[in-house]
Amino acid sequence: MTSNFLELKGLYKTFDNITALNNVSLNVSKGEVIFIIGPSGCGKSTLLRAVNWLTPPDKGEVWLEGNLVGSSSSKLTIKEAKLLNNLRAKMGMVFQQFNVWPHLNVLENVVRPQLVVAKRNKANAESKALKILDEVSLHNKIDEWPDHLSGGQKQRLAIARALAMDPILMLLDEPTSALDPELVGEVLIVLKRLVNNGMTMLIVTHELGFASEFGDRLLFMDGGEIIEEGSPKKILTMPKTKRLKMFLKKLDITSFKH
Amino acid sequence: MLEYQIFFDYAPILLIGFWLTIKIVVCAIALGIPLGLFLALGRRSNFVIISFLSTSFIELFRNTPFIIQVFLFYYVLPFYGLRLSAEYIGVLALAAFGSAYFAEIIRAGIDAVPKGQLDSARAIGMTDWQAMRNVILPQTLSIVIPPLTNQTLTLIKESAILSTITVHELTMTGLMVQGETFRPFEVFIMVALLYWALNETIATIMRKFEQNTKKNRKAGSIGNSSTTLKKSTSIK
Repeated sequence: MTSNFLELKGLYKTFDNITALNNVSLNVSKGEVIFIIGPSGCGKSTLLRAVNWLTPPDKGEVWLEGNLVGSSSSKLTIKEAKLLNNLRAKMGMVFQQFNVWPHLNVLENVVRPQLVVAKRNKANAESKALKILDEVSLHNKIDEWPDHLSGGQKQRLAIARALAMDPILMLLDEPTSALDPELVGEVLIVLKRLVNNGMTMLIVTHELGFASEFGDRLLFMDGGEIIEEGSPKKILTMPKTKRLKMFLKKLDITSFKH
Repeated sequence: MLEYQIFFDYAPILLIGFWLTIKIVVCAIALGIPLGLFLALGRRSNFVIISFLSTSFIELFRNTPFIIQVFLFYYVLPFYGLRLSAEYIGVLALAAFGSAYFAEIIRAGIDAVPKGQLDSARAIGMTDWQAMRNVILPQTLSIVIPPLTNQTLTLIKESAILSTITVHELTMTGLMVQGETFRPFEVFIMVALLYWALNETIATIMRKFEQNTKKNRKAGSIGNSSTTLKKSTSIK
């Protein structure tokens, strides 16, 4: 049963002749932390966005706890659309560009989806929001507008907003890539706590150190396919394929340059 | 030379016409903006029929002269059994004309909101409509205030054309007074000043409103959390 927590079956996706996903299948157990690396355009973000059907794949199915996410055909029925929204609420997503809502202050960013989607009452939503904002160390910023926050604070706010929905799975799409180097740490601290709490996570990242320390599994993608898969330490120290070796070499060079 | 007496003698009747202009424009905007929002969303709809109808409506009203639209409304509606007074027909024509432009303004405003905003709203489980209402449209508002104001001013000026279908608004009243006094210069100066005063007032109010919305977001920490929370519920 545990192996069927999240199942991706034969996902295909092309954009204008570029194959973003080429028959990708993946089984994720509850509590597993999976890191996805690969060169840009390799399909890693598309994979993440296919999981919550934000980018519906052309072919293939996604199952979360035995529920079909989205649809097996291209058109959603009304019932499927409704179920999809329920399932999305259980899958917290964090974006590279934060995508916090600038017209709502920090507290409202976390409260609003709880009211609208989870249909919680205001008092519950607020106390939940305050508790979670405290966990991401934004408790002294609750009245602030997102435009006034640093990148790291915005990303922590985005994580808090997702956590307030009580997700069972977190999808993180390069959560630290848009951050100044000195702000990466504060976001990683929050993510580490999530790992320690047993959250199931799919994380697209370039933070290889973070991946090797906290990942249960690492996927290397290229050309829309999973090329290598296994324990992060093993894969990063002993890459089998030429493509991964090249990729790691490039990353090394760039990090050296900085 | 100007005959100043005309200003005093005919100001009351012109003000009556002016009042009708205000009423017609207010009604046309009250109808036109919601219709424009509806058309803007319709044009973006995934349902082909809805998007086709919305697009056709917008293009039809944007690409034909307003005076022709007014004539069509005035002569064609009664033919189909819809007998309305000229004032109501004027309101409908003005609302339809305005809504086409409002729709395009709102559509551009929606498109100007970064795509990631919709992504984050959908990813957290909002329906399209919930995402529109809670995330996209509030951000659209501050973008569209200046062009919407512009269009409103245009609508006020275009309302003068309703004089051609016997609506006794400001321009029509001006024409009548002119016919009585043969003093076009005095009369139309008064008419122009009244239009100008109305537009200037609206432009000033909207500028203030725009500054306020900007200031609010830039103000940083404003008050304690309970006041901001109250505001958020009233917006909801």
